[in-house]
Amino acid sequence: MYEINLVGIEFTITAWQLLIVKLLVILTVVPVGALAGGYAMHKELGHLQHRLGPMYAGGFHGWAQTLADGLKFIYKEDIIPANADKRVFTLAPAIIFVPVMLLFLVIPIDRSLIIEDLDVGLFYLLAIGSVGVIGVLMAGWSSANKYALIGALRSAAQLIAYELPIVLTAATVAMLAGTLSITGIVEAQDWPFILWPPGIGLIAFLIFLVGAIAEMNLPPFDMPVAESEIITGAFTEYSGMRFIFGFFFAEMAHIVAFSGIAATLFLGGYRPIVPWAPLENIPGVIWFFGKFAFMFFFIIWVRFTFPRLREDQLQKFAWKFMIPASLALVLAAGAWVLYAPESLWR
Amino acid sequence: MAIDERHHDARLKKARGMSYGIGLLKGMAITLRHLFKHNSVIQYPDERQDLSPRTRGVIALKEENCTVCMLCARECPDWCIYIDSHKETLPPKREGGRQRKRNVLDRFAIDYALCMYCGICVEVCPYDALFWSREFEYAEYDIRNLTHEKEKLSDWMSTVLPPPELEDGALLPGQPEPAVAGNGAPAPAAQAPTQPATASGAGDPSGTQTKQAAPPAASGDSDATQPSNTASLRETPSPAAPAAEATPPPEKAAETPPAAAPPAETPKAAEPKAAEPEPEAEPEPAKLSDEVVAQYQAEPGPNVEVPHEAPHPVALERTEDPEAVYQQVLQEQKDKGSSPQVAEARAKVARVKAERGIKRGPTPVEVEKPVPSAPTKGRPAEPEPGGAPEAKGIEPEPGPVAPTDEEKS
Repeated sequence: MYEINLVGIEFTITAWQLLIVKLLVILTVVPVGALAGGYAMHKELGHLQHRLGPMYAGGFHGWAQTLADGLKFIYKEDIIPANADKRVFTLAPAIIFVPVMLLFLVIPIDRSLIIEDLDVGLFYLLAIGSVGVIGVLMAGWSSANKYALIGALRSAAQLIAYELPIVLTAATVAMLAGTLSITGIVEAQDWPFILWPPGIGLIAFLIFLVGAIAEMNLPPFDMPVAESEIITGAFTEYSGMRFIFGFFFAEMAHIVAFSGIAATLFLGGYRPIVPWAPLENIPGVIWFFGKFAFMFFFIIWVRFTFPRLREDQLQKFAWKFMIPASLALVLAAGAWVLYAPESLWR
Repeated sequence: MAIDERHHDARLKKARGMSYGIGLLKGMAITLRHLFKHNSVIQYPDERQDLSPRTRGVIALKEENCTVCMLCARECPDWCIYIDSHKETLPPKREGGRQRKRNVLDRFAIDYALCMYCGICVEVCPYDALFWSREFEYAEYDIRNLTHEKEKLSDWMSTVLPPPELEDGALLPGQPEPAVAGNGAPAPAAQAPTQPATASGAGDPSGTQTKQAAPPAASGDSDATQPSNTASLRETPSPAAPAAEATPPPEKAAETPPAAAPPAETPKAAEPKAAEPEPEAEPEPAKLSDEVVAQYQAEPGPNVEVPHEAPHPVALERTEDPEAVYQQVLQEQKDKGSSPQVAEARAKVARVKAERGIKRGPTPVEVEKPVPSAPTKGRPAEPEPGGAPEAKGIEPEPGPVAPTDEEKS
């Protein structure tokens, strides 16, 4: 039995009921978030290019466009190539999509609005976040298609290269906060890490962002899905619902999740951007969604600004710059934690 | 070469120095700026773009202007124009005359599934029967419906825009080019754009003289084609007019089209006579042109041929108020028995000319008298292509077709 205090209303609920409620929340939040994110992306891209984006579906400014797109894909035929390893081929999209959904478990929307406040929340995020690439490898290998295989291998290489900077910057954050719990990290940010400690937080944020963009296979790091050369890479042979869940939906949910994670780890999550009493009165949900929206906008902005790099440039950039820089950052954070006087911490 | 470029590259990199990443920020600033710029979308079914007047939407057919000359069908690169016709024999217009044949259009169809909108048919049509329209919404569910028959093509006519206004100082059809050289007679030259450039080009004394003398002649020239056009076209629709005089010329004109067409070929001897048939209104300019002609005949030079482009009635020297001209011509035409539309159209032309300071030649009706002697003078007896549709458009009676028909036969 759990006693719940939700916005002043107190009630008790059994563990099973709570679990079902949490699952339902995840099952609604992720698709809705992905659809809304897709719509926002269409709109932002459209306006970046002097267009309007979707304007008709659903009546008001095309709000139902992504919904209609999804429905269209569901009605399409699910084609499995004759030479494909059918079991692996059909399983791969689920293995890509489910970990992305699980990322949402540990993102706090407000002080107590979190689905599972794990003590090892950050570790969980990093671990779950890299499971998806196994699905990509499965998809690419089982498709019996050279483009799919190239895409899958590029994706794996990219994940290995860019997971390291992400892990190291996340370690920096954990060192600064002194905890692996996500809510603990948020509570530690009286000043968001991006502002304080000076330099360390900002650089960590930038490295984390670049790594996240690369891990999500977004331009300018989208060689694994480069449509003009290897035709969405590992998903060349997919169609219908598997395609949209494994590729579009997962990608969109990934962007939404990483926007939330970046907002939480570096921008102070549900806490005000500066420790100033009047700002504390604004509800944490609004702070969180404001920061989340900024991160989302920023990622899409970057995505549609830069052209694609070459595979070797990407690897060079990761191993020769990103990883050394993040290692140096870990050193700097350690030095800060050990030697900075207590008065500077807050 | 390659080494040089590499060297250059390296130097560039050095020059950039610590500025790595600036380019990225610049790029992001650019996209961000564009995010807040106004979008340039026209939401088509809801909003309409104001298409340019020269948009190539659909080709419209003015059926009554078509003489079945087949030029469009032959020039069409896609061969997407289908024309069927038959010949009809018309009874002679007056007793003892010969019968006339003319083509009657049975089918005119454009297959828009083949058409590539090159517009050659529109340009090649000598009688202004084809026009561009801005309409573009004629998609069909069946490709066969994209073949528009002449009824549908005629319907598009209602969507054709009127021709654009002439610019200030633009030349009317038949008006000679103004002289390029700056010297010469200021006042008269300004009043009427005068000599062909070739005449004054040499800059010899005779050239300047011609220029001074030329204006009346040249201005008359400007009108030369038009009155004759309308005259030759006109005689059929208005038999009530003193048509007895008017009837002979078209025949003669029809017999001598090749000689008549390029006015430059006019025999010199004809010149003085050309001035003769001048309506009684203003004898002076006529004399003046006589002098000019005499001068040219006296001094044969490289430019001699050119002034002979004046086998025409010389302009009436009227310095008129456009409105007065309008009323006057309207009245004249009505008196002559022209149909109201025709009268109005001619009056409008006269008014426009008066506004532009172009000296008006005798109105078509006035020309009728001189016409009998026209063939010998090489008066342009056949209508210019440009002139024809105007008259035809005004008078939809079968008459207008006749002259072109004669020309063919």
